[in-house]
Amino acid sequence: MNIVTCFKLVPEEQDIVVNSDRTLNLEKANTKISLYDLNAVEAGTELAAAIPGSKVNALSVGGKRLENTKARKDILSRGPDALYAVIDPSLESALPRETAAALAAAVTKIGGFDVILCGEGSGDLYAQQVGLLLGSLLSVPVVNDVSKLTAGEGTVTVERTLETEVEVLSVPLPAVICVTSDINTPKIPSMKTILAAGKKPVTSWSCADLGITPGAAPVVVQSVLAPEQADRKKVILEGDSDSNVAAFVESLRKTL
Amino acid sequence: MDFQLTEEQELLLASVRELISRSFPAEYFKKCDEEYKYPIEFMNALGENGISMLGVPEDLGGIPADLVTQMLVIEEVGRMGAPCFLMMGAHCVHNMMDFGNKEQLAKTVEALATGVPPYSLAITEPQAGSDNNMLGTSYTRKNGKVYLNGQKTFISGAADYPYMLVLARDPEGKDPKKCFSLWWVDPKTPGIRINRLHKIGWRMVSNCEVFFDNVEIEESALVGKEGNGFGHLMRNFEIERLTIAAYSVGPAECAFEEAAKYSNQRVTFGKTIGSYQLIQNKLTQMAIKIENMKNYVYKVAWQDDNKQSLRLSSALCKLYCSQAAQEVIDDAMQIMGGVGYTEDCRISRLWRDIRVSRIGGGTDEIMTYIAGRQIVKEYANK
Repeated sequence: MNIVTCFKLVPEEQDIVVNSDRTLNLEKANTKISLYDLNAVEAGTELAAAIPGSKVNALSVGGKRLENTKARKDILSRGPDALYAVIDPSLESALPRETAAALAAAVTKIGGFDVILCGEGSGDLYAQQVGLLLGSLLSVPVVNDVSKLTAGEGTVTVERTLETEVEVLSVPLPAVICVTSDINTPKIPSMKTILAAGKKPVTSWSCADLGITPGAAPVVVQSVLAPEQADRKKVILEGDSDSNVAAFVESLRKTL
Repeated sequence: MDFQLTEEQELLLASVRELISRSFPAEYFKKCDEEYKYPIEFMNALGENGISMLGVPEDLGGIPADLVTQMLVIEEVGRMGAPCFLMMGAHCVHNMMDFGNKEQLAKTVEALATGVPPYSLAITEPQAGSDNNMLGTSYTRKNGKVYLNGQKTFISGAADYPYMLVLARDPEGKDPKKCFSLWWVDPKTPGIRINRLHKIGWRMVSNCEVFFDNVEIEESALVGKEGNGFGHLMRNFEIERLTIAAYSVGPAECAFEEAAKYSNQRVTFGKTIGSYQLIQNKLTQMAIKIENMKNYVYKVAWQDDNKQSLRLSSALCKLYCSQAAQEVIDDAMQIMGGVGYTEDCRISRLWRDIRVSRIGGGTDEIMTYIAGRQIVKEYANK
């Protein structure tokens, strides 16, 4: 089975500095793999382990962060056999539509797939759209919110935990599957896989290599600002009497 | 001189941090310490992740890594508040590669892969610590078998590790330099009695008295060359000194970080204690000692990686790091005040555990003796 696991490199949240005008300074932020994508990578390697002869390709699109060799080794230490990276200045702050278009072109150039796995959303934008757009662009079935994944003959069986029921679907391949963070606990890379990661193949492409030209974005980001800080209200209700509980609820209701 | 860690080293350390922070909270080690329990789950996790096999050759199922990397990993385990002093590492395997037989090497590798050190070193006796010539435990032969008799003490891991290397004397031997041999022993062999000692620290590993009463072993249990027991262990001692120095760095960093954070939280007389120069002075001196310890451990490990002698440097490094770490952790406790003295604060455990670094593997005084003698010798003809 040919498996592609998509991931995004995002700034380390702890390193992000909020400027006085509430804009974000990412200059000193280290690079890390978006946490939700680690579930997709783990799901991909588990799927591959269940079907002998499978291959897992990690795929990402973005800007300069993808040149980070440590981050490349990090993703490869988590199971994928090879890494494909589309690095282009036009993808530096790409929104879901451009990201999905670049992923679709890259998957085609890689030479096909049976399953593409995505996380439930990225660690920075968390738009939860890329996987769905990707499936649509590739004209294949796409299912999100998947919390269990089992390989079948030409299909995968997925479970989606909905509000009142668990939906079980048999999805014909090829398909795009977006997994939730409940699907697994990503394994911690072992010493062996870390040291072997640097020997795995990495292929870098630009948008020109893929024959795509990002068009005018249908959505333009006006600003990204940190939430305004609000002082604590310091409303303290002593004791758990009915009247205090009622006052607490009323206080919450007013605030919300 | 390049102080930058490689990307692989950074990822290895990140993996160590993730492993401990995900599965082994401070509460786990607190409980093991309180119950005098060997943290087998933690050690097995080190084995499963491959941490215990760092530095073991690939053809033995290990993961090639230089000694600097191995020391960095020990340091990081300690910095996370975990008992890094339980990590014996690859030199157990290297010992068996150097002077063990195939079967002994295979058993060593098999045990280490589980994360548990393969064997305890049964050398010290009540009347003979660093003065090894006074060792009295003997081996004698009768009807094609070998018999061990005597008593060892302070044997680390004797009740926890699967095997034991016993240094014993040939009572017939005339030359004290050639009458000691090493024997591979299963601690469950009839005639062996193990008695745990009660200590103020290092409660997560046993230190034991071991009694040998006509313990029958096979000739094949001889480790290395007969009469060369001391010679085989000499190199082990140098790496052991460096390893004990590395054991000191991480706990000191752990205590320092906790104390530095606390100094920003604890308020007295309307100000955080970190704003007072007396506390700043402590933190500054602690930071200097930690940097010195780190640099010293890395340098001595680098010397070994570059085939340089550790005879002087490993003794100096152990002496400095053991003392400096004790000072740093003691200062951390002082900054934490009463909180640091409680068992709810892990600094109290680190404080108890670190003290033995100045005793085990050769006391401060023995390190001074080894280093001082060597320094004078080096300047004899200059």
